[in-house]
Amino acid sequence: MRLGFRLAVLWGVGVLVSIFSAGAYAASAAALGQPMQLKEAKAGTLLVRGDDDLVLRAAPMLGTDVEINVTGLIARTVVTQYFHNPTDAWLEGIYVFPLPQNAAVDTLEVRIGERVIVGEIKERQEARKIYEKAKAEGKKAALLEQERPNIFTTSVAGIHPQGTVGVRIEYQRELDYRDGVFSLRFPMVVAPRYIPGDPIASASSRHVALDTDQVPDGSRISPPVADPAGRVINPVSLRVSLNAGVAVRTKSTSHVIEVSEKSDGVLEITPAQGAVPADRDFVLSWRPALGEAPKAALFTEVFKGEEYALLMVMPPDAAAAPAPAPNREVIFVLDTSGSMSGTSFHEARSALRMALRRLSPADTFNVIAFSSSARQLFRRALPATPENIAKAISNIEGLEAKGGTEMLSALTLALRSPPSSERVRQVVFITDGAVGNESALFDYISLRIGKSRLFTIGIGSAPNAYFMKRAARAGRGTFTYIGTPEDVHEKMSGLFAYLERPMLTDIRLHWPGRVDETYPAPIPDLYAGEPLVVVLRAKDLGGQVSITGLRSGEPWQQNVSLENGTARAGVARLYARRKIESFRLNLSRLQEDLGYEEGRKQFRDKIIETGLRYHLVTRYTSLVAVEKESSRPHDAPLKAWPVPTHLPAGWKLEKIWLEKPAMESEAATAGFISVEKTSIQFEKKNATDGKRLAERRWKLEERKPNALQRQIASAQPLVAAHLPRTATPALLFVLTGLLLLMTAVFLRWRVRTQW
Amino acid sequence: MVAGRLLIGALVLGGTLSLAHGAWIPAKAALAQVLLDHAWQETLRSGDFAKPWPWADTWPVARLIVPSHKKSMVVLAGADGAALAFGPGHLTTSAPPGASDNSVIAGHRDTHFAFLGSLKPGDTLQLQARDGVLHDYRVTQTRVVHETDTSVLEFGQDPMLTLITCYPFAALVPGGPLRYVVHARGISSHKTQRKKT
Repeated sequence: MRLGFRLAVLWGVGVLVSIFSAGAYAASAAALGQPMQLKEAKAGTLLVRGDDDLVLRAAPMLGTDVEINVTGLIARTVVTQYFHNPTDAWLEGIYVFPLPQNAAVDTLEVRIGERVIVGEIKERQEARKIYEKAKAEGKKAALLEQERPNIFTTSVAGIHPQGTVGVRIEYQRELDYRDGVFSLRFPMVVAPRYIPGDPIASASSRHVALDTDQVPDGSRISPPVADPAGRVINPVSLRVSLNAGVAVRTKSTSHVIEVSEKSDGVLEITPAQGAVPADRDFVLSWRPALGEAPKAALFTEVFKGEEYALLMVMPPDAAAAPAPAPNREVIFVLDTSGSMSGTSFHEARSALRMALRRLSPADTFNVIAFSSSARQLFRRALPATPENIAKAISNIEGLEAKGGTEMLSALTLALRSPPSSERVRQVVFITDGAVGNESALFDYISLRIGKSRLFTIGIGSAPNAYFMKRAARAGRGTFTYIGTPEDVHEKMSGLFAYLERPMLTDIRLHWPGRVDETYPAPIPDLYAGEPLVVVLRAKDLGGQVSITGLRSGEPWQQNVSLENGTARAGVARLYARRKIESFRLNLSRLQEDLGYEEGRKQFRDKIIETGLRYHLVTRYTSLVAVEKESSRPHDAPLKAWPVPTHLPAGWKLEKIWLEKPAMESEAATAGFISVEKTSIQFEKKNATDGKRLAERRWKLEERKPNALQRQIASAQPLVAAHLPRTATPALLFVLTGLLLLMTAVFLRWRVRTQW
Repeated sequence: MVAGRLLIGALVLGGTLSLAHGAWIPAKAALAQVLLDHAWQETLRSGDFAKPWPWADTWPVARLIVPSHKKSMVVLAGADGAALAFGPGHLTTSAPPGASDNSVIAGHRDTHFAFLGSLKPGDTLQLQARDGVLHDYRVTQTRVVHETDTSVLEFGQDPMLTLITCYPFAALVPGGPLRYVVHARGISSHKTQRKKT
């Protein structure tokens, strides 16, 4: 429901394991497996040291096998989670894990020995009932639910004593393709929910709050945290099969990888160390050999009698046919209302100064400042000559933040006349977004945006992100958040580097006859290096699609053949996933039209219908697998166990607030402790490689927002750095006042008695 | 002796001012609600946000009703110090009141939100949105968190109401790091009669 370009959130969600609140489950050391050597350990086995040190034992733990098959533009991933039970009790495991945002999960299988139970798609509540019933009857059952678009939960009931249960899920996703580089990411780790430019750690505090409560269900609790002293828990064995031609160059920024070539030209990539701890995401990127980078690709699938296609078109490269950077008309709008006063205004001004200095002389610009009324610096946009910029900067210095927030008049000034035909107008709106008449503003923007693009920049600790993201979406631009003064430079550089690139705007697709639905809609602008990716449903695919747009203001057209697509399973589900995404984008409009309750109901019904039709896990549909016969004796109780999660690489368990989570080592000797919801604070290790690596990865992500993912990730929330301060010094003042008065009375009395 | 008298005079003056200031804070909190109530009625009537006084930098966005405590208060836009002095503030970064998502409201622990400590799971809360629709919530959990634990601001997929105030309630000096949080889950929404002023 929320929007903004927050691709990196994909990374910020980690593996979480939670337990059923059945109370403390005492697993004595005797219940642990036989001593074993590290090299004997298979995936799904946890090795812990007992009291008798040095000897490693198997403990209740899970491992994960990951296989990723890449063909064309689609990565099909098979994740097998092993739930192993070395005790003499029947167990239930609940495992919360991240998947890439927008992963289309369509398969759930439970493997017990030779038997396989296949999951079916059901409406969420119904699936939950089926699972609970099977659990009560002592049957083996598994349930796969979506908690967030990128967080899923697997519950497995009836893991027999000394047994292992494998839960296999499958999903697919389009690859990220930008600047001629393909990349994929497999998320594995519990990490602070990082949102670019929105650090959870404030400048004044070295402490970082780690959000460990990803599960909205209150009956589930946070997992204990594993000792970072080096034991590997939840080992992940990972293999990528890359069918992308021979001469690709592969690279991983997260792991040292080993690449081997199979006979049929398929590259097999694994982490060089074998099974890896789930403490960082796996990132793989590859670049096709020169001249072999795909210019257009079409994948098709026939699903339930209908044709689906995934079309990728790479617009002519900037290098191949150098397009000049667009001639731009940049209108800066600065909020100078009272709510901006203080640090916010200081930040806003420095952001604006920086933006002005980056303009090229070929650009034209103007500055609009508004509070109770709006005023502009120049009568019309002027060339960005050094003199004009100097004039603008000196004027900005004189501005003060006071008065009301009449945003509409500022927007009217910015958008009232259409931009000149040879220029791209970019409106850069710097504000904290504290406005009341939101819907009027959205309406105005949608109506008047035309060929202009609106980029909103949120300033201060608590900007109205809800408003600004929606405004940027209506204005077909992006939203940038600047939280602290330190962010200004980096954020503004990033945004402007992006805005300065040549781009393709006003993209329209002209389909031959029988294509009935395409996503995304409308097509977002493309910046240099970004491909156009569209999924569609057709009655009878063929002919060619004509793509038109404006490239640096010039009309541009390309025809792409829709014949001879490569058949590829999974295209229909990618389409379905995009369709569901579009429901979400339109929810608020639906609710405005139909009313709150009715809108929500329709939204839900549409998602359920799509989920059931395409066999997809969505927020309202789950996969549930139940064995036919009960295997657990009726008198044997079902217990649950907590599984420790791994700390992200580079983080140190230093200080735990409120309650200490059960350390994994204690758990092994003294039994697992049921932990209430805890809030855990971690102190950053000074200058550890892990952290630097993580930061570098963030920056990398930020610089490369993919147009599609920007739209999708925009659903992510923006989180403030602190909860608000909510106490007054009233009592303090009253008591101080009383104290002073009493002192006065006392002194007066002393003076009297002395006389 | 002049010095002594001056000292006593200064103490009396300082003490009186401090006492007055201390008393003014809760008085202002109570008085402002009267003015805010007018602005809220205006908002309900016209459907547009209305400023309670011409120079205000905030405006009513909802009405919070606590049947079990017979309390009703106007909620303002923004949870900054200026707004909180007059009423509980809705965090603009959270979902708008009544949305099928997490709306977060913060209030002073010693004035408007002093009652938070006595809320129990199962209690009913009501939030009236700008369109007059009354949203019912049931308290599911109360807990204490550190101010950096922004997980309470998490967005969700269902209607939720989160109330935040400072903790401990009786602390003398403001600005401590702990927050008392009340979570409530949406149970129903119904149209109310729009009140005419």
